[in-house]
This record gives sequence, structure tokens and C-alpha cells, in this order.
Amino acid sequence: MKRNLSTVLVLGLVLAFLIGPFLIIIAASLSAGNSLAFPPQGLSLKWVAKVFTVESFRESFATSMFLAVFGTLAALALGVPAAYALNRYRLPFSETVRTVVSAPIIVPGIIVGLALLRYLVIPAGVPVILALFCAHTALVLPYAVRVVSASLGNLRSDIEEAAVLLGCTRSGAFFRVVLPNIRGGILAAFILGFVTSFNQVPVSLFLSGPGVRTLPIDMLGYMEINYDPSVAALSALLAFMSIGIVFIAERFLGFSRYV
Amino acid sequence: MFQNRREGLALALPAAVFACVVFLVPVAILLSEGFRGAAGFSLTPYVEFFSSALNRAVFLRTLKLGALVTLVAAVIGYAAAYAIVNLSPANRGRVFGLVVLPLMISPVARTYAWLVILGRTGFVNQALTLVGLTDEPIRFLFTETAVFIGLLQLFLPLMIISLISALENMPRDAVPAARVLGASWLQVFTRVILPLTKEGLVIGGTLVFTGSLTAYITPAILGGSKVLMLETLLYQRVTVANDFASAAVIAMILIVMSFSANLLLKRLARARGR
Repeated sequence: MKRNLSTVLVLGLVLAFLIGPFLIIIAASLSAGNSLAFPPQGLSLKWVAKVFTVESFRESFATSMFLAVFGTLAALALGVPAAYALNRYRLPFSETVRTVVSAPIIVPGIIVGLALLRYLVIPAGVPVILALFCAHTALVLPYAVRVVSASLGNLRSDIEEAAVLLGCTRSGAFFRVVLPNIRGGILAAFILGFVTSFNQVPVSLFLSGPGVRTLPIDMLGYMEINYDPSVAALSALLAFMSIGIVFIAERFLGFSRYV
Repeated sequence: MFQNRREGLALALPAAVFACVVFLVPVAILLSEGFRGAAGFSLTPYVEFFSSALNRAVFLRTLKLGALVTLVAAVIGYAAAYAIVNLSPANRGRVFGLVVLPLMISPVARTYAWLVILGRTGFVNQALTLVGLTDEPIRFLFTETAVFIGLLQLFLPLMIISLISALENMPRDAVPAARVLGASWLQVFTRVILPLTKEGLVIGGTLVFTGSLTAYITPAILGGSKVLMLETLLYQRVTVANDFASAAVIAMILIVMSFSANLLLKRLARARGR
């Protein structure tokens, strides 16, 4: 009994610390007042509604969506063949290749962003949006390789060898035998990449130009000037979006098996 | 296992080339700026960086906050992970889900919540005034305490997750056996739990420590320009002072720390695989 009480107490405090702030954001975003406060002054949905009318939020949301979807797809297009090669072929320098493609995880994003700005955007005149796209792809690449490698590792390699022996071409065996079997892993990698890219700040910090901003950067900028609950409302909406995506993935895929 | 090397290389090459072009090469050039003096190679940027008292203070503060967050996360993490491992399977899944939940939420949103809680008219100040503990709102924002709290909330889940898997791998009867043989709870922890979960602690600790060192948003929002950390200092050096030599030095410090932590993890993973 005593053990039970201390268990409940410890978990209660830890969860209050971890989840509490999130609940407070939701409460603050439902406030009818004009400045950020908790407890909220009256209840209303006006700040939630306002989020949708702010032009810059709409633009930066579209930018973030584009980067998260297409950056992750590009990372998969590069990462799936790489993961396949690393798993199924005896390669010279395979350790080097593995290190190179997973290096972006070790280097803080702010440094990648600065390096791209200084040596790609400025001297080569590369458009900011393209640099952002490359940065987000590089950021997601290690996750793509790692998650797809894990699901390839769980798939026995004899089935594609069997397909080849039975007369399938090598690429045919990949598309008709291997790919359907690692579908779950690829989808898991996509979701992980999407959430990582969408919530990413430091990589995009230096890479903003006129009209090109990701949503988290836009939120940071808005917060510096305004002290109203609209960022709270936006934060709550985004949190629900992330949780919803992960929840659906978990429900249908057993997402956590792959991560 | 296929033997055709050319085919394998052709599959792996695009990813490797991409990572080199948009990542390794630009970062390498950036780092090289930290070794550039008036005439070729020199360590002047490093000497200049560390000769500034402000820079040294930021460097030490980053290390200090990183270590403190890791230490406190370890203490809370053990208590929480132990409690979770001893729950019934159904409850364990639910509580685990709640612990992981914050990881899905944007760090901007999570840090922003602390503004609402710790601000002048925030939750904590209102509660304190209501109880009559203070007349004046206390300043929490833009203090090391605020940054510490924000970082702890951001990275505590990683520590708990690592410790849960370490505790699950521990022999089930170890703790009851030690208790039956007369060990105190402190002895159980230092002689049984700690040695058996050392790896989980190192993994969790590395994740929390490197995470805290390289966090940008939390120090930027909760610390502002009063509580600079290495990442916020880097941003400031570039945007305010156009000082790329300092930025390169900070980048090198961050990469070396992050890289050594990862090396440690890899070595650990290899030792476990043996």
C-alpha cells in the first residue's frame, strides 16, 4: 500500500510536469481576454479562429507542409536505395557511407543552416526555398536510412534471391517482393520524418527570405511582437495535428515497432 | 547478400553524394573559418573567442546547465522509470504513452507554455500572489532557472525511455532478493539497480546532455539575451556582429561535443553486442 502511494505520487508529479504545460496552452488558447494569461479570462474560440485569418501563418504553414512532405519524400528516395545497398550488398567503404548519410543527426541544425546560407545561398545564388528543401532533406535522411534499414533487417533476404532464381529481374524483385514487405517501415519513416521536419527550428533559422519562412520560425517572430493567445491556439492546433498523425499511425501500423 | 559491388554502390551513392554536397562540404568550409588567420592557418579565432569573458561565461553556462539538466533528469528518471516498470501492463502502456506524448509536440509550443506559466502575469505568479507569498510578481523569465526548467521538460522523456528499457532488462528478482537479504533502499540502488542499468543511464544521459547543449528554442525564448547559451550566442554572433570566425569556433565546440557523445554511444552499443 505504501509502495503504491509513492508510485502514484511520483508518476503524478512527473506527468504534471511533462503534460501540464500542454494543458495550460490549450486553456490559454480558449481565453476570451486579449493578453496571454492563465487562468483564462472567460471562454471563447476567437483566438483559435484568428489563427486561420493571419496571412503569414497561412503562408508559413504552406511552406512547412511543402518542406515536410517533399523533403521527407526526397529523403526516402535517396535513403531507401542506400539502406537497401547497405543491407544487401557487401560494399567497400560501407561504414563510411553509413557515417556520411547519418552525419546530419550529429551536427546541430543551426550549423547546417548557417553553412548552407553562407556557401550555397549567398555565393551561388541558390534560392532560399531550395536551400531549405535540401536542409530538411538532409535532416530527415538519417531517420529514413535507419528506419528502413531496421525493417530490411527484419526481412529475410532469401525471398528476393528466390524471386531472382525464379526468373524475376533484380529490380522487379525489389519492387514486387521487397517493397511491399517493407511498406510499413517506409510509412513509419515518412511519419517520423514529417514530424521531425515540421517541428524543426534551428535548421531554418538562417534560411529565411522574403515570403519564405517555416511555421515555427514565423511563430517565434510573432511572439516577439505580440503577446496575445493566438500562438497558444496555433501551438495547440499543431500539437493535436502531430498527436493525431502519430495516433493514427500507431493504430494502423504499430508505428512504435519501427522507431 | 549480393556480390555485385557496382550495383550496390550505384544505389548507395546518391544519398552519400547528396549528404556530402549539401551537408559535409558546407559544414567543413564553415569549420575551416575557425582556423583562418590573416596569413593562412592560425588558431587566432580560438584564442580570441576564449579570451572574451562573456564567451567563456556562455561556454561554462552551457556545460553547467547541460550537466545539471542531465543530473536532475537522471534522478527523476530513475524514480519515474521504476514506478512505470512496476505498473500493471495495461497502465504501463498508458503512462508510457503520456510520457512520450510531449516528444510529438513542437518544441516551440512546449517552450511557449512556460511563458504562460512563468511570466509576470503567469500561473505561478498569480498563485503566489493569491496565497499571499509575494506582493510583487517574481521574475522567472530570462533567468537560468527558467532555461533549466524548459530544458528539463524537453529532454526528461528521453531519459525515462532509456531507463525503462534498462530496468526491463534487469533480472526481475534482483531487487526483492537484495531487500530480503537486508539491503536498505539506498544500498539496493547503488549496489544493484545502478550497476545493472548503467548502460541505459549512459544512453539517456548522452541524449539529454547533447540535447541540452544544442537546444536553440528554449534558451532563446526563456533565456533571451540575458541567459545566452552556445547556440543562441552563435545566432547572435552571426546576425548582430557578422562575426563568422566566432560562429565557426562555436560550431566546432558543438560538433566536437555532440560527436564525442555519439562515439561513446557507438562504443557502448558495440560492447553490448559482443
